[in-house]
This record gives sequence, structure tokens and C-alpha cells, in this order.
Amino acid sequence: MTITFPHMGQVYLAAKGLLDDLGIDVVIPPPITKKTLEIGTRLSPEMACLPLKINIGNYIESIEKGADTVLLSGSCGPCRFGYYGVVQKEILKDLGYDIDIIIFDPPDTGYRDFIQRIKKVAGNNSWVDIARTFRKASYIVEEADELLEIALKKRAREANRGETDAHLYSFEREVLKHHGTKAILNVIKKYKIILNGIKEKNDVSPLKVGLVGEIYTLIEPYVNLNIEKKLGQLGVEVYRSLTLHEWVKIHLSLDIKHRMNHKRILKKSAPYLNLCIGGHAWQTIANSIHFSEMNLDGIIQIMPFGCMPEIVAESILPRVYEDYGVPIMTLVVDEMTGEAGYFTRLEAFVDLLEQRRNQTDEKKRSLSGR
Amino acid sequence: MKIGIPKALMYYTYYPLWKHFFEQLGYETVVSGNTSKIILNNGVMNCVDDACLPVKLFHGHVMDLLDKADAVFIPRLTSINPGEFICPKFIGLPEMIKSSIKGLPDVLVLDHNAHRNIKNAYKAFVDIGKKLTGSTSMAVQSLKLARMNQKKYETILKQGETPLDILETGGGHEINNVKGIIGLVGHPYLLYDQYVSMRIIAKLRNMGYRVMVPENIENTLIQEVCNRLPKKLFWSYGKKLLGSGLVMLENNMVDGLIFLSSFACGIDSFILELLHRYNQRRYRVPCTLITVDEHTGHAGFNTRLEAFIDMIEWRKAYDNNLSTYGTSVSGG
Repeated sequence: MTITFPHMGQVYLAAKGLLDDLGIDVVIPPPITKKTLEIGTRLSPEMACLPLKINIGNYIESIEKGADTVLLSGSCGPCRFGYYGVVQKEILKDLGYDIDIIIFDPPDTGYRDFIQRIKKVAGNNSWVDIARTFRKASYIVEEADELLEIALKKRAREANRGETDAHLYSFEREVLKHHGTKAILNVIKKYKIILNGIKEKNDVSPLKVGLVGEIYTLIEPYVNLNIEKKLGQLGVEVYRSLTLHEWVKIHLSLDIKHRMNHKRILKKSAPYLNLCIGGHAWQTIANSIHFSEMNLDGIIQIMPFGCMPEIVAESILPRVYEDYGVPIMTLVVDEMTGEAGYFTRLEAFVDLLEQRRNQTDEKKRSLSGR
Repeated sequence: MKIGIPKALMYYTYYPLWKHFFEQLGYETVVSGNTSKIILNNGVMNCVDDACLPVKLFHGHVMDLLDKADAVFIPRLTSINPGEFICPKFIGLPEMIKSSIKGLPDVLVLDHNAHRNIKNAYKAFVDIGKKLTGSTSMAVQSLKLARMNQKKYETILKQGETPLDILETGGGHEINNVKGIIGLVGHPYLLYDQYVSMRIIAKLRNMGYRVMVPENIENTLIQEVCNRLPKKLFWSYGKKLLGSGLVMLENNMVDGLIFLSSFACGIDSFILELLHRYNQRRYRVPCTLITVDEHTGHAGFNTRLEAFIDMIEWRKAYDNNLSTYGTSVSGG
């Protein structure tokens, strides 16, 4: 059994560490490129959402490298993600690939299936080992997210432009050479120190922009055209709302304090949307309010074309803007998204935020009589 | 007080239930007009660009009711069967309407949520009835009568009528010389909205074909084929469309299958894909997918429909009539 999995931001670090430790062969899909997207677009239903198409591209490229089993997480609706596994399996079957797709649905649909699936993947490892490795893998997720958070802060302030991204690039090159959770964790920690040591410019106060929206488009840099990097290069400090670590903490761990905090933020959206409609639409609204209250300069919502829950959020967000006054822009990405138009919009938005800030500064100055 | 019911989305499924419920409570109901260019334009102008056509139409129909009704009824159909959903947009519909349309009159939101228990859905009706009249017993009584009417409606549907024939006329004339049966698979708010569906039912009937729609298929049969799926389908309408399509194919009930879908429909993109793939593998019945959106024109639509019917007729005439020598059909 050689396992592969779809890409989603930093997932590959944790997944590789986990499967390495359990002694299972793993193929990391080649990094998402235009070719991946082209394969996926050609083979997937036309109206399917972008993540499904990229997943298919990932599978095909991994299968070419020798994978025969796909690991995928699942859900039980109403978002389309819950039926990804079934549709993808049918697509691969019609293409003649005899691939096993193991879907990890949330255990509330039946613990027995869930346990059987873990056993199927983990083979002869004892439950204690499995639990221990899971724990270590979740550390990787945590540390990798912290690494990215440092990068977000540093990019907007770095004295030598491009230094942060140069380090991140060599990190990605280096980490793939290591095996097992321990080695991977060490590499991440090493680079955290390096990133922390990057020299900052004096007295800059970068614009602050929060990112909300659909989780896959937020986390996977290829899909959002590396928006965090682009904004950072424009001198903007980026605040992330949904991260992998956050997801793991809410769905897989028993961290009650964190859950309470999550609930507290969700409650803020009560006047606009007070129930889960699938996907992360509820979180999108709640985090937009949260960011507005944090006095960020602007908010950007990202979603794949046709994403059902985020469309609802999109139509509610103008009301949040009316009430809180923080500009919100929606970016829709799909396989047709062109870089130039996308960046023009980003730059225009950042320009707008800058002017807004200057105006409010002037207003403050004239009010204080100076 | 006049209660306005938008003629969009689940209107074609639940109209008898809603109408009789409010009338039993002693309220007058008014339905928005048939979809027209004006309603469509109003909907498109007042809704986010990324929403699908049916949701935009719902916005248009609510706009149409603004000066006709004192209160607008907006159902929040979270779930109509335990463990299932309909579509995320249906759940957020009241919020979308409230955010997008200014100058709304009173809004009656029905929280139809049977996700845990079908009784919760009925409770929502009782709550609304109680809010309107102040009497629980009256609400319960009205619901009971309304449900009886709804059941009657569903029974007639199972006998082969389409909701269009029952709720309004215009489904085309009776056919004397039936050439065959075409299965029409699509959401009720597309199939029975004559503006959006380009009167597809009437057109097919005028060509001499009877239509079979998902509402005609027994729920038990749908459940049976859907149980064979590798994973439980959690969309009620996804299940209905995929299930009824499979039942039609498996029992040789139709000569051809037409999928009608709206552009960017999230559920159709998966369901129709699966149905298409299963059909290709096992049944190989002629099928076509017609996607409609706010820009669809009659000419292109008719051409595709006629081409599909021609294909079915040619297949009937020439398929299997090949000689063993391999000479071509036309004798050349």
C-alpha cells in the first residue's frame, strides 16, 4: 500500500511525518502547478468547485509516481466537500485506475467504520503508537502554522525585501529531504529561529488586512495565487482567520478553552447569520466582525467559484461593512483566474485602504487642532 | 393581512401545504406573478452576482410581492428529511433576502428543519401559526388540514401528472399519438418555471412525447436505489434527482433522459455527473444536459432539444438494423 493525499497548504508536512512514523509508504503529490490544474479541469465535472479539480490533478500526478491509495477527510454536508470522495472515485474508475480512496468521515456517523479505516491504514501499529504519532503530527501542524504567522509579520516589515520568502523557499526545499515527525519538527523549528532573526525596518506601521472565506482557498497558496505573499510584498500585514491548526484544534482535539473562544467569536454574527449553513460561511461572517472589532484596515473574502456557503456569506457581508465600516472585498478564484487582473484588484484595494488611513489620520489631526 | 408566497424555489413542491395552512389560519395568500423578464431582471439586480439563477429568481419574486402583500413568507428549508439537507443557499435564504432587498414588509420565516426529527419541522409551522393567531390549537388544526391537502397533491403527482398540470395550466395539450416517454431530471424550481425551463414540458408534448418527472417516482423506489450508493447522499433533492433518474433507467421507463440544470448549481454538478457516469456504464440510454442561466435564448435551447429528439428517433429507426456484412445504414 502506497498512500497519497491531496495537497492543502502545509498538510503535506504533517501527513508525511505521520505516515513515515507509522512505517507506511507515502507519495507526496508534486507541488500544485498549472499542469495539475489542467489535468484536474480536463477530468472533472465542469461545474464542480475548484478544490475537487485540483485534488484530481494531485491524485493523477501521485498515481504516476506509484501511489495506489488515497487518504481524504470527509464531512456530512451540506457543503459539496462531503461527497468529494465518491465522485472522485467514480472519475478515477472510469479512467481505468484501480485506486482505493479511504475517506475519514467525522466519527459521529459511526465509530466502527472510523476505527476500521484507521486500522486499515495503520496496519500493525499499536493504538498507543497511533495516538502518539497523531499527537506529534498535530505539533507539526501547530509549528508550521506558527512559522507562517511569523512570515506574515516579517514580510510587511523586512529591511531587505524578499528575505522572508527566500528563507521560506529554502525551508520548503529542505524539509522534503527529512523523514519522520521528529526530523520535520526540527527543520520547522530551525526556520522559525531564522525567520525571527530577520532584520526589520524601523518605525513602520503596515496596513492590516484580514483574510476570511473558504478554508481550502485560504490555506492553499497555489489556489489563492499566494495572496499572503503578494499582500506582504505590498507592505501589508496579513491576519489569517482559518488555519490548519485552528481546524485541528476544533475538530480533532479536546481543547475546551479554544472551543469556547471559537463559540464566542461565532456568537458575534448572531444579528446577521445565526446558524451553520455548511462550509465556513458562519465563520466568514463572524471573523469579519472579529477583524472589524480588532480595527484592521480591510478584509478580503476568498472563495472558489460557485462555492455554495460562501455565496450566502458574500451577500451578507455588505451589511457587516455598513455596521462596522471596515472595507470588505470578495475575490472569486477558479481555473480561469488570471494573475494580472487579480493583482490589479489587490493593489487597488490596498491603495484604497492607504488613502482611507491617510484621510482618517488627517481628520484626527485637524480635530486635535494641530 | 395578505401573506405573499414567492413563486420560486420550493413553491412547486410545497405550495398546497403553505397555501392551505395560511388560509386555514384565516389569512389571505397572494402568489407572485409568473416569472417574467421584469422579475428576472429585478432578481439579478438585487442579488450577489455569484448566486445561481433560482436564488436570483427568488429575489425577483420577493420584489414582485413588495406592493402586493403585507408580509412575505420566506421558508428556511434547512432539511426536509432526517439526516439530509437541501442546499446551503436555502438555509441562508432569509438572511440573503434581508441583506439584499431594501424596504421589505414583514417577513415570515419558517424554520423547516427536520434534520434531527421530522416533528421539529411541524413545530415550526405551529410556532408561526401561534405567532399569527395566538392560538396553538388553531395552528395545529390548520397544519393537519394543510398536510392532508399536501398529501393529496403528492398522490396525484405519483399518478404521472406534473406539478405544472395541477398548479396551473399551460403544460401543453393531451397527446393522442404518443411516440415515447422522455425522462426529465431537474430541480422543481427549474422544470416547472415556464420562463426558465423555456416551456420544455409543453415543447416535448407538442413533439409527441410524454414526460416523466422525478415527482412521478415512488419514494420507496428512490430510497432503494440510493441505498446502493457508496455513501449516504445528504442532499434531499440530490437524492431525489439521482434516485429517480436511476429508477427510470433501471426499469426501462424512458426513451431518453434530459437533465435540466442551472448554471453553477453545486449539487447538480455532482449528482448529474454521477448519473451520467452510471448511465454510460450500465444502461446507455440517450441523455443530454441542458444548462440554463439568465442569458439562455429560445433558439439555442430549441435546437438542442430537437437534435436530441431526432437522435432518439434515428436510433429507434436504424439501431440494430445493421446487416451482418457491415454495409452502412444508408445502403452505401
